[in-house]
Amino acid sequence: MSEERLAEFMARIERGEKIEATDWMPDDYRLAAIRFIQMHALSEVMGAFPEKEWVPKAPTLARKMSLMAKVQDEVGHGQLLLRVAEDLARPLGKGREELIQELLEGKSKFHNVFHMPAPTWADCGVIGWLVDGAAVISQAALLQSSYGPYARILQRVCAEEGFHIQHGESICLALAEGTPSQRKMLQDALNRWWEALLLFFGPPETDGQNAQVLLKYRFRTKTNEQLRQKYLTKYVPRIWSLGLTLPDPELRYDEKQGRWIYTAPDWSKLKAIARNEGPLSQYRLALRRNSYETTRWVREALTGKAVVA
Amino acid sequence: MAGYPEFQVYEVFVQSTQLSPHTWVGSIDAGSPEDALILARETFLRREKAVSIWVVPADQIHGTDYEDPDFFAQETDKAYRLTSGYTADNARRWRKYKRELLDIEKDFVKD
Repeated sequence: MSEERLAEFMARIERGEKIEATDWMPDDYRLAAIRFIQMHALSEVMGAFPEKEWVPKAPTLARKMSLMAKVQDEVGHGQLLLRVAEDLARPLGKGREELIQELLEGKSKFHNVFHMPAPTWADCGVIGWLVDGAAVISQAALLQSSYGPYARILQRVCAEEGFHIQHGESICLALAEGTPSQRKMLQDALNRWWEALLLFFGPPETDGQNAQVLLKYRFRTKTNEQLRQKYLTKYVPRIWSLGLTLPDPELRYDEKQGRWIYTAPDWSKLKAIARNEGPLSQYRLALRRNSYETTRWVREALTGKAVVA
Repeated sequence: MAGYPEFQVYEVFVQSTQLSPHTWVGSIDAGSPEDALILARETFLRREKAVSIWVVPADQIHGTDYEDPDFFAQETDKAYRLTSGYTADNARRWRKYKRELLDIEKDFVKD
């Protein structure tokens, strides 16, 4: 790679230009971008599982329909994002099959929150309200990404996430205003999810080499801690206003420092989840593998491969 | 092993009403143009209304190169081609005759 080419690329980034799939880009940009978008895409697909479990058990037909619509959106987002990742991965000889295969083989990660169980209807609501809320905070920050195809498709993804957030709030507000046992179910779900929600944005120092590369090239523009602070500002006051509590006695906004103080979650859990050693990592991956294999015939039929004499 | 190499990329254009242009919304992988139309509907039209979808094999699109901004160079001032190149001066002149500037939207299209 010539120094001159890299300098010109960096100058484009600094001028705020957008990078396109067919543009020259340094290998570290391409690899970090593929990894990030691939994880985003696969997280959308894996994110369908915890909620999908609740489709047959939703308390009313209306809730079932809205949950179904949401699950379809998540899978649709997976499709859109895989497309973006494919174009970046093509020069490496990888296609959609390889990108998915890497997930099934444990080589590519999916988001920590989707390794967690959703034992009650309130968990399903909390996923819509607070997990999707966290997702939109990160995704909205990526609308300015230096990678044009990703930023463009995120406009649609974010617009649909707007529905997910309202859907999750609708479930949680109904429970918060419901019977004492419904309120308790919501509070218990919040207690279960709080640590995972703090873990969601990653360690404060944005320590990974990948993250540093992404920030340098303005693929990402906000650090993990900036995103988490924005999330706490948006959501903690709302949670408290419903008379719900969060399982962290240290949690407060420090006016002087202008930031939220919180008890650090156990970051080692994030590392374990990255190795697919989370509570439901293997269970959900097995569901995905099974689904991928049992629908193989559909993909083959669509390409005319399965034509029999 | 490449599992389904016959899939190809189709760019998707959606027309929301017959009086609006087809607008690019994204792309999808599909095995045939017919499947591409169905997948495009499922991917992009779960909510929005539309009257038409076009799918075009991505490799059939001929485009300009982002790395050649000179193609779009505008060397000269284009004010003489623009409405805004005339409105301020005309409005000032009409004021002498106690007349307001005509506006294409307000006075012709919507009136």
